[in-house]
Amino acid sequence: MSSRLHAALPVPAMMRLAWRNLWRNHRRTLIMLLAIAIGVWAMIFMTALMRGMVDEMISDGIESLPGYVQIHHADFRDDPSIQNSLQAPGHELLSALGNTVVAGWTSRVRVPAMISSEKDSRGVTLLGVDPAGEIAVGFDLTNMVAGRFLDGPTDKGLVIGRKLLERLETRLGKRVVVMSQDPNNNVADRGFRIVGVYKATLEGQEERFVYGGRSNIQSLLKMGSQVSEIAITGHDYRAVDELLASIRQARPPGSEVLPWMELEGYLYSMMVMMDGFVLVWIIVIFVALSFGLINTLMMAIFERIREIGLMQALGMRPTSILYLVLLESLLLLALGLLIGNILAVGSILSLRGGIDLSAVAKGMEMFGAGSTLYPALKLGDLATANVVVIVLGLLTSLLPAWRASRYSPVEAITKI
Amino acid sequence: MRSLYLILLSLVTSSAFSADSSVRELVKAAMDHWRGLTSATQISMTIHRSDWERKMTMHAWSKGAKLSLVRVVEPKKDAGNGTLLNDNNMWTYSPKINRIIKVPSSMMSQNWMGSDFSNKDIAKSTDIIDQYEHELTGQEETEGHVFYTITSIPHEDAAVVWGKEVLTIRDDFVLMEQQFWDQDGELVKSMKTLQVKEMGGRAVASIMRMGKLETPDEWTEITTHAVEFDLELPANIFTLSSLRNPRR
Repeated sequence: MSSRLHAALPVPAMMRLAWRNLWRNHRRTLIMLLAIAIGVWAMIFMTALMRGMVDEMISDGIESLPGYVQIHHADFRDDPSIQNSLQAPGHELLSALGNTVVAGWTSRVRVPAMISSEKDSRGVTLLGVDPAGEIAVGFDLTNMVAGRFLDGPTDKGLVIGRKLLERLETRLGKRVVVMSQDPNNNVADRGFRIVGVYKATLEGQEERFVYGGRSNIQSLLKMGSQVSEIAITGHDYRAVDELLASIRQARPPGSEVLPWMELEGYLYSMMVMMDGFVLVWIIVIFVALSFGLINTLMMAIFERIREIGLMQALGMRPTSILYLVLLESLLLLALGLLIGNILAVGSILSLRGGIDLSAVAKGMEMFGAGSTLYPALKLGDLATANVVVIVLGLLTSLLPAWRASRYSPVEAITKI
Repeated sequence: MRSLYLILLSLVTSSAFSADSSVRELVKAAMDHWRGLTSATQISMTIHRSDWERKMTMHAWSKGAKLSLVRVVEPKKDAGNGTLLNDNNMWTYSPKINRIIKVPSSMMSQNWMGSDFSNKDIAKSTDIIDQYEHELTGQEETEGHVFYTITSIPHEDAAVVWGKEVLTIRDDFVLMEQQFWDQDGELVKSMKTLQVKEMGGRAVASIMRMGKLETPDEWTEITTHAVEFDLELPANIFTLSSLRNPRR
């Protein structure tokens, strides 16, 4: 018997011992379980909220206008003027655009312009678009708040943002004047009737972009069939390499093809930052949690010093005591994780319809998020949270476990 | 010119008075009367605000409906500043920076030399003839003159924000008032002729005041001191180099 105790206890016996120890003071264990569960829930749930916010911000930001990949004249980004425009897509490019990695594409005229009403005038970016193409790359018709979207590239009307309408103190159906320059630097201007008003997540976007029929704008600017940019969308905004490569191969001479990460540096760095932030967030919660964990285990050990001493006196090895304590904390962590995961997944699923944040919409808008938040659960985040809690949790419990295994039996038994 | 007036008068008094073409002729005649084939004028511009006022003296030349050149003579610190107009294009020159700047489209709706005229008002002042539908909406006789009121509605794609303009033209082709109405039928701003004088052989609106209705104590007044019409102008006066280096 004693020789068996000298050897390490078999795993099932250790397991039973640890499990019983855990429930000897069930109130403390329950409180700890609750703490772990809430911590894990917070990690996963808040991460999902953040992911949802970033996803929406990026898809809003890139799908409405930039697309995943864009073709420009090589000098367009330095000087977005009408001189730096492209020929309408030729045969080779068109066949690349028919590829299955392309979800949708459109070509547009994009020039700086002035828009004026009787009351005010503003600098805007005038987009000459083909409405069918815009819808294909992600213009959402449900964003039209009044009137209609353009009905073809020859549409003579103008679609402007809600905020711009307000700033110009004009209305749907009234005429405004759009002024820009043709390739010879002559003033090109024309009156347009406002046929539609759109809303965007960002007021800045509503103020900035004005849509007109592409052919109509081309004739106003005397640019023939030239366009300023071709925007292409794919299927996953995080993975654009294949799309980029296939378009690059077919690009017209004198043009450059860039992914949204380079075109919308702000959004991209936002995405990278958020990815990093998720990990920081998980660790911050864990640090708070770990103090509770250490404290609980320490208390459990101080209460059981005599018992530990007795076990040692009966011949249990210090390593077994170390394992026992670690096993206790592993069980505690695993149970807590289980409850936490169920809670988190449950609450995320129940909020699939989105969380209405219209009360704080202004603030959300400042960093580019919409007023409805859709939590997005990513398996990777779930795994990160679980691994962090298990691994770091065990590391944290090493200290109390080591302390427990270091008592000398005589001292421990005589301790009051 | 007298004969045109008679033709017009007969058109106007006959039942065909609302015919657009004859009214357009009247507007065109008023613009021609104002600009002549060529003209050289000495004007001063007073910009009035509630707390300050400033006055500039300028020389201006024009040829046909498209070419004009304006140069500031006084005050001294602004002397030499000039504006050249060729159709819808506009260039400004300032001797202080010794640069000619082509006014980009984005600046066309800003005000011209701080006045109540926008660059566009200056550059496009004769566009009203072709870009609008004109209709005679009133006719009144006072002080021995007939005053025609013409309502001009811009064409659908005209580069004009106004809903309509209402012109009052005296029977000797002096433009007495030009009103700018918005598309809701509200009067926004107007240019009124406050004084008519005989100059350069014709009746000229010698004091004109432009102001917005919303701000009655802010206005710009243009006083014509001397004017010469249909004179020989050197061919190179409406060029960028003449804008930079005055030869007259």
